[in-house]
Amino acid sequence: MLAEKALDLVRELQRSLDGTLPPYNEDKIRQVLEEMQTLFDQNKDKAQFAAEGQTHLLSAIQLRHAAIRRNKRCLLAYLYNRLDQIKKMRWEYSSVLPSDVKYNMCEQEVQWFNQYNRLLANYMRTLGDNGGLDLTQDMKPPKALYVLVRCLVDHGEFETQDGTTILLKKNSQHYLMRAECENLIRQGILEHIVQ
Amino acid sequence: MLVKDFKKDFYDTLQRQRVLVLVAFDVDALCACKILQYLFHCDQVVYTVVPVDGLQSLEQAYLENAEGIRQVVLINCGATVDIVDLLQPEEHVRFYICDSHRPVDIHNFYNAVQVKLLMREDELSTIPSYDEVFRDDEEDSDQSDEENDDPESGYKKKRFDDESILRRQERRQWNEERVRILFDYTKFTSYGTSVAMVMFESAWKLSKDTNNLLWLAIVGVTDQYVHFKTPRDKYMEDVIALQSHVSRHNQRGSDGESLLSVNCLRISFEEELHLNLYRHWTLFDSICHSMPIACKLRLWTLKGQKRLHEFLAEMGLPIAQCKQQFSAMDITLRSEVKARMQEYMNKYGLENQDIVLPSFSMQFGYKNLLCATDYVLACAASLESLDSSKLQTDNFLLASDILQRSSPEKTDAALEGARAQLRSLVSQVQSSLDMHQIISAGPFLYVFVQEGTADSRFFSQPMSLIRLARFTLQAHCSVTRNKRAQSLPLVLGAPLSLEEGTCLIIGIPPLDTDDERKNFFGKAFEQAAQSTNMTVKCNGFDTFIIEMRIEDRSKFFDALISILQ
Repeated sequence: MLAEKALDLVRELQRSLDGTLPPYNEDKIRQVLEEMQTLFDQNKDKAQFAAEGQTHLLSAIQLRHAAIRRNKRCLLAYLYNRLDQIKKMRWEYSSVLPSDVKYNMCEQEVQWFNQYNRLLANYMRTLGDNGGLDLTQDMKPPKALYVLVRCLVDHGEFETQDGTTILLKKNSQHYLMRAECENLIRQGILEHIVQ
Repeated sequence: MLVKDFKKDFYDTLQRQRVLVLVAFDVDALCACKILQYLFHCDQVVYTVVPVDGLQSLEQAYLENAEGIRQVVLINCGATVDIVDLLQPEEHVRFYICDSHRPVDIHNFYNAVQVKLLMREDELSTIPSYDEVFRDDEEDSDQSDEENDDPESGYKKKRFDDESILRRQERRQWNEERVRILFDYTKFTSYGTSVAMVMFESAWKLSKDTNNLLWLAIVGVTDQYVHFKTPRDKYMEDVIALQSHVSRHNQRGSDGESLLSVNCLRISFEEELHLNLYRHWTLFDSICHSMPIACKLRLWTLKGQKRLHEFLAEMGLPIAQCKQQFSAMDITLRSEVKARMQEYMNKYGLENQDIVLPSFSMQFGYKNLLCATDYVLACAASLESLDSSKLQTDNFLLASDILQRSSPEKTDAALEGARAQLRSLVSQVQSSLDMHQIISAGPFLYVFVQEGTADSRFFSQPMSLIRLARFTLQAHCSVTRNKRAQSLPLVLGAPLSLEEGTCLIIGIPPLDTDDERKNFFGKAFEQAAQSTNMTVKCNGFDTFIIEMRIEDRSKFFDALISILQ
């Protein structure tokens, strides 16, 4: 059936879990593009005859053209949604993406990501008084300024903003500024204990 | 120095500074730590909690975390040693010691700058006065010595000589007196008010007490009772104080209906059956594993088992019902167990004290009715869990989670652990009695846990060791014909590590001085070790539990016998 493969691509994206990025399906995209090319070539041939007065060909041309446009829409939707997902990941994981996510991106996407990164970083630098403002932190207003954390591994010393050093030893418990330890929690060094 | 005003001298000085909290490995300390953590959360005090299981790890934890720390809170550790001497802190560091171990070291008490004690004042009345133990005139005596060397006239010199001899004599007397006073003071180790209770009362004074904190205080107080740290009178005193808090926090409506929602913590005071874990076990097993009743009926013997069956029959509790999970028992029987036991106990020589303990129970939602003693046993079991893949500190965090009531699964696992502990405890007591291993050495009884038995590893931990020693002594006293047994203390040895060839030795005071719960073995062990020149380690904070090499044991016991005679 016409445009079936393009629909597959969109379905594939929809099937993937929230917050994950499926591998870039280059193979299928190429197939879709080839299909579009053949359709286009056929149309080009037939268009001449139609222009010469064989009006019964017109409906077939119209159908092929609709298929081409549908393919295009599906491809664009596929690419756009992937970019959207990557954008979300930038806000979630900060500027360095995990390697498995990176592996699933195509080269153009990597380029786009880098540019997006640069734009965002430039923008954040202009905010605030000095040194900019990290917009990616505290996406939702935190309930408390401090959190109770538990150390999961021997991490060594950690310097806080006010200059004191804290020894993060396995199984020690600390009550720290949320902003300071948020990153360590994401890295799996600390565990947030909900009271 | 004693902290007089908790808010001004302790709490306010901790604000806006990072605090290091060092916590000992016991349930009471853990509860106190939880209360303190809650207070810190209220006022956003930044802190670090590190569990410590002995003086060595206390020292290490302090060294590791000391950087930039000005305030250190010690919970249930450190009062019995000169903390400034041990840790060699910088001058600006302040120590706040909240410890139930007694006696408090005199240096801690009289250090006005660096050490602050969070304790009840009336419990420190036995401490020797300053003049008796410290003397400020040491320079004087040096000066007079120097003066002696001055070329003065013979007469004057003679007079000085007389004076200095007098002074020296007086000084010697004072020194002897000092040693005597200090010996009297440190002769007995005992325990003061539970630290969780002290912390809770402080929270109450700050108007920050909640039902949750109250439950922690209850658990702390009960822990002291379960591990034989405080006598029954003291326990009752604390329970009465706690009960007024309980009724304040758990008010009920006029028609007996609870005003509180089901989903919050409810605490109630009741005369609880003093049977270990019976809500989470079968009634029959629970009776067999509870110390007072098991010792009175001698349940480890065949005759005792018969008597128990008789007792149950007389109470009208079918044996089939008693041997299934308590929660699955017939509801009418279940609600009458206590009343029936109290009705028929006299015939079997049981007293009210053996069966009923005024205690508290808490309920959270519709499930999880837990009474305080069971809670303590579960926490202690998870603190002393024997899982070798886990670190000690993992156990600490697990017990802390249980106190948080974060997951019922963890609590259930801990209760299972507690049951396993009790089972091994009773079978150990039974085998010591059956094999007549409890031997009278003259001034005391002694018994060794056999090495290599399956259960012996349970007793490498201080809390279960205390319970085992006490159970053994009580069981022995109930069977022996020796009338003196009541007045004999017990020394119990248990293997600690087979690879290193070490064992733990614990000494507990005789039963007839049970009202005081004062233990003289700390000093006795110290002297015995001194007289034999042996290296014994006392790693924990209880001096009556020591660690030594197995081959030194007999020599040590000879010395101990000669000291106690």
